[in-house]
Amino acid sequence: MSAQPRDPGAAAAVAVAVMSAAASRTGASESARSVFLHPVGRAAAQIAIVLAMLVLWQFGSGTLFPRVWVSSPSAIFARLVQWFSSGSIWGHMAATVSAAAIGYVLGAAAGVATGLLLGLSRKAEQILSPFVIALYSLPKVALAPFFVIFLGIGIESKIALVAVTVYFLLLYNTLDGLRDLDRGWADAYRLMGANDREIVRNVMLPGIMPWIFSGLRIGVRYAFTAAVLGELLAGNQGIGYLIESSAGQFNSSGIFAGVFILVVCSVVATEVISRAEKFVLHWRN
Amino acid sequence: MAHQLIELKDISKSFQREQTIIAALSPVNLAVRREEFVAFVGPSGCGKSTILNMVAGLLPPTTGQLSYDGAPVRDLNRRVGYMTQKDTLLPWRNVADNIGAPLELACHKTGKTGRMDKIRQMVELVGLKGFEKHFPGELSGGMRRRVALARMLIYDPETLLMDEPFGALDAQLKLVMHDEIQRIVSLGHKTVLFVTHDLSEAIALADRVVVFSSRPGQIKIVRDIDLPRPRDVFRIRFSPRFTELHEELWDELKDEVKKGTDT
Ligand SMILES: Nc1ncnc2c1ncn2[C@@H]1O[C@H](COP(=O)(O)OP(=O)(O)O)[C@@H](O)[C@H]1O
Ligand SMILES: [Mg+2]
Repeated sequence: MSAQPRDPGAAAAVAVAVMSAAASRTGASESARSVFLHPVGRAAAQIAIVLAMLVLWQFGSGTLFPRVWVSSPSAIFARLVQWFSSGSIWGHMAATVSAAAIGYVLGAAAGVATGLLLGLSRKAEQILSPFVIALYSLPKVALAPFFVIFLGIGIESKIALVAVTVYFLLLYNTLDGLRDLDRGWADAYRLMGANDREIVRNVMLPGIMPWIFSGLRIGVRYAFTAAVLGELLAGNQGIGYLIESSAGQFNSSGIFAGVFILVVCSVVATEVISRAEKFVLHWRN
Repeated sequence: MAHQLIELKDISKSFQREQTIIAALSPVNLAVRREEFVAFVGPSGCGKSTILNMVAGLLPPTTGQLSYDGAPVRDLNRRVGYMTQKDTLLPWRNVADNIGAPLELACHKTGKTGRMDKIRQMVELVGLKGFEKHFPGELSGGMRRRVALARMLIYDPETLLMDEPFGALDAQLKLVMHDEIQRIVSLGHKTVLFVTHDLSEAIALADRVVVFSSRPGQIKIVRDIDLPRPRDVFRIRFSPRFTELHEELWDELKDEVKKGTDT
């Protein structure tokens, strides 16, 4: 494989870390610090940093760094314009996003359901927990070739890979959440006369919501990573495929443009989940 | 002879922590009559909460027989309402929804309007009007205790177990709550086990005060409180009989409290 799979979340995190490190360095004097603490000042500083990096990239490309590796912002922008104006990008975006979304929903639902089953039934837990522990340390993306063999290079193998990754993430988060629940809550409900179903509905499900949402938030990154990895490995559609085929043609602007689109998709999806979390867990603020 | 409502016969409790066994409660004998108000006082860690947990059926005794209304307590004892020492309010439910929680359960099913009415009554009873929409995380310790109290009272359990219910309240509010509790208990013919650190509170409210000795807990003395009812909780402290009982019980209690701080 000539292109490395990219974790869009990690890319964004690195960018933010670079920005904030630079921002804190610039605030050396007192007055400068107060300017950058102000939200508008901070936003201005961040935009300035991004612009500075883009300028350095643009003019460093071909002089400081070989253009064939780093491309340049203008070339990447041109590539994006070309993809969008020809409309060729939409099919690829739809392929990646739908594989990620379908796998995410299936995996998350099954993960939470399994977690509840294990957490609520001692028998199921005793029988199944060794498998759960054994699978904990397995990097699920290593299963990608297996899914390609069994399900082909179409969307099914990507959905399966996404679903499995997200499944285990949500399973472990649900189990952690159940373990961490205050036992006093269920005892209190039981004493008031609640039956098992009422305890699950009133105590356990709402009680593990913070863990489920933290799993769902991280799961967005997992889902895109898995979908793109599947496409990089084998496929004829999707953003991962676009990156892979650009790499095959030493077209670095195509790689960066693909990564850029991935970052945007991942950030938007994470924001949607974060909003839902704020709405459902409004009692925490 | 008719059985007593709550009977502890040679009840003891020890906890195992890793390799060591901690004796929390030495064998204790106590019988509580129906409609009796019994207060427990004693140093921290002498097993008062442990007794309430056992009466509620949340914890099995290590030795002895515990019965409720003539039958051994094996499982959860759903005839008691339990206001635990550490509150168990659900942080994602606001005050009104926490208080109304028992009435949403199939076993106490109440229609929405009936539930709203009862919640309103309870909110007023515990003096939390205007805080219905607040979440537990936004309340002071004393307010949370009152929410827990209201949640227990709303479904009208036969027996009330209260573990330091008013510890976090200021002196005036405490008296107001004493007055309410006394009224509810006598109107509702409740049996009460009441744990407190406040000896005056115990004497003002209870028919009998049980003084425990320090860990492993043991009953040091059981004292009948022969103050006539109904009691004026706001003035009873000034009666000579109250002072006598207070002095007598304080002498018993202070040695234990001292011992507790020595170890
Ligand atoms: N679940 C438990 N595990 C181990 N030790 C416990 C547990 N519950 C209580 N204890 C111990 O039993 C003793 C009595 O506790 P408790 O009944 O809470 O005392 P009190 O309510 O009188 O302050 C304490 O020493 C406490 O540490
Ligand atoms: Mg206690």
